[in-house]
Amino acid sequence: MARELSQRGLTVVVLEQGPRLSLASFTHDELKEWYLGGITNDAVENPQTFRDDEGKQAEVQTLKPALWYGRAVGGASLHYTANYWRFHEIDFIERSVLGAIAGTGFADWPITYADLEPYYTKVEWEVGVSGLAGASPFDPPRTKPYPMAPLPVKSSGVLFERGARKLGLHPVPAPMAINSQPYRGRMACVHCGFCHGFACEVGAKASTLTTVIPEAEATGRCEVRPESYVVRIQTNNEKRATGVAYFDRDRRERFQRARAVVVCANGAETPRLLLMSANPRSPHGLANSSGLVGKYLMFNYSGRASGVFEHELNEYKSVQVTRILHDFYDSDPKRGHYGGGGLDARIGPQPATWAIRTAADGPSWGSAFKARLREFTRTMQVASHSTSLALESNNVTLDPVVKDAWGLPAIRVTYKDHPDDLETVRFLQDRGADILDAAGALRVTQTPVAAQRSSVHLLGTCRMGNDPATSVIDRYHRSHEVPNLFLCDGSSLVTSGRGQPTMTIQALAFRAGEHIARFARRGEI
Amino acid sequence: MATAAVPLPWSVIAQAVHEGHVSARRGDGTISWLSAAEAADIEAVASQIVPTDDSPGAREAGVVYFIDRALASFFSRLAADYRAQLAAFQAACRERHPSAGSFAALPSEGQIEYLKEIDQTPFFATTRLLTLLGMFSLPVYGGNRNGVGWKLLGFEDAHVFGVPFGYYDRGYPGFVIDPVSLK
Repeated sequence: MARELSQRGLTVVVLEQGPRLSLASFTHDELKEWYLGGITNDAVENPQTFRDDEGKQAEVQTLKPALWYGRAVGGASLHYTANYWRFHEIDFIERSVLGAIAGTGFADWPITYADLEPYYTKVEWEVGVSGLAGASPFDPPRTKPYPMAPLPVKSSGVLFERGARKLGLHPVPAPMAINSQPYRGRMACVHCGFCHGFACEVGAKASTLTTVIPEAEATGRCEVRPESYVVRIQTNNEKRATGVAYFDRDRRERFQRARAVVVCANGAETPRLLLMSANPRSPHGLANSSGLVGKYLMFNYSGRASGVFEHELNEYKSVQVTRILHDFYDSDPKRGHYGGGGLDARIGPQPATWAIRTAADGPSWGSAFKARLREFTRTMQVASHSTSLALESNNVTLDPVVKDAWGLPAIRVTYKDHPDDLETVRFLQDRGADILDAAGALRVTQTPVAAQRSSVHLLGTCRMGNDPATSVIDRYHRSHEVPNLFLCDGSSLVTSGRGQPTMTIQALAFRAGEHIARFARRGEI
Repeated sequence: MATAAVPLPWSVIAQAVHEGHVSARRGDGTISWLSAAEAADIEAVASQIVPTDDSPGAREAGVVYFIDRALASFFSRLAADYRAQLAAFQAACRERHPSAGSFAALPSEGQIEYLKEIDQTPFFATTRLLTLLGMFSLPVYGGNRNGVGWKLLGFEDAHVFGVPFGYYDRGYPGFVIDPVSLK
């Protein structure tokens, strides 16, 4: 966003909550990055509360926040796995194709896949994605191939491919925003294995920290101000934004004047900021006449089947995923429930978290558990990534009691998966187990499917739409209520897609940046 | 005495890590926050979670030293609740086995039998979490001594790997779009 605006001649100040970190500071320290908020929000300074029902008292999350996100320049693109699936055409028009689903906010997008296709291509070429165009018969149309060949296949990818093909499925090389060769001044992946939850120490994984942000700064018109925690969007009597109040690194409140405010703070912090910006003219939060700011939170769901093989796979090496398939992407009424998703082959988390979670698919302590730990190098997972329905009862609100280290209201999360979403995971996990069986696994287990209590996919909380009564922003990301306030991040999504939302969020940002600059040129802001 | 969970900024955590590094280098095995009886019982539980057999377990990994440091510094937010849970665990165990006096003093079979009854409690869940974090985190935090946790898994901590990564990707012929499977 900052790059699109600054390259088009606008002056941009980027205010980032977290610090600006260097590649040299990125580590393989699992305790720090996963449990102590090394590059993310953490449970101490940024507490959150969680409940699974609006009638319940929300509880403080002591180990990790329920909504986990990058809190440093680069945001989630620091710690993501970098799976770059385009959404398919169906994701934008599914409500029209399938019909309404009672009790949900299931809706079409105000834009289509065709509107976004040029920006998906832009992401692939300007951010840098490795993949193989034309490999998947389920892929939506594209105007250009990938700029880089796929990354080298891992043992999990070979086994996944073998098992899936035996079953008549269509495994393909995974599209990943990780360099398989030097690209745009960044080096190729060195296969260290620390992608998921870690920032890339060589810059091969495409983070905005190393891709578009330096390009924005190179224009001379973009200033990135880290450790600047925006607490309020200021508006005047004409309901126009005049700028933002923020805490600087010394926790002094400052004000940044602005002709337009663009909030890209993710699906948790964007609605929180609008709710914290309530004033006598907008008592229920800024840009919230629809009442939908913070509502329709969607997580996706990642289900796991795990297989142990005879020989070593060493899945802890290299990128998470080298093979995926989309045979079950579309919803199929024959399954008896809404939903669909993709499958991929991966290790899952690195050692400690692997032991805590994955190795617990059998005995969780004792000699039998220790025997399971010894299978680490011979284990792989087939992960499923699937739909979440939009529910008003799943949301982000301000906790009435708990405050963060700055004295601001903590995020209160209310979330419970729709029954169809859980059925979809059960269906997909079974397909994953079939693939592992067909690949010759000695033993296959599944993680029990239960309602989620946390996520890194923070989607839908300020949804896009044509009708101001049922959406927060219009098709150009302009808030329906405040004409010089734009919102663009995971909160803009109308449906959840099938996991892997980052590429779509970036495509939306490229598109929105172009439109916002056009509005500015024409004096329409 | 229960200590209140005090929020810690990253700078303090970093300092704790630094101190951890120093004491690990000294081979210092002091317990500073837990009492001797608490440490003995936690170590006994941890040793049942990852037992010692022909290879090192939680005891050899120094998990109890990791837990002691964690509760005193970077996981102080868990400390008060955990200490209360531990006290309840100890009291219930004494009531059940008055002659043994403590969980740590029970023979191994007795410990296993008792843990089977309580392995769904918050106390056990937190002990398991801390044990595994202590077993597999970087050795600078006080556990995973000499990398024994990583050796158990077969994990190699390196910054560069090359193909082949494992047995099954050796000699992979390259991806071919399968014309037979295309609909």
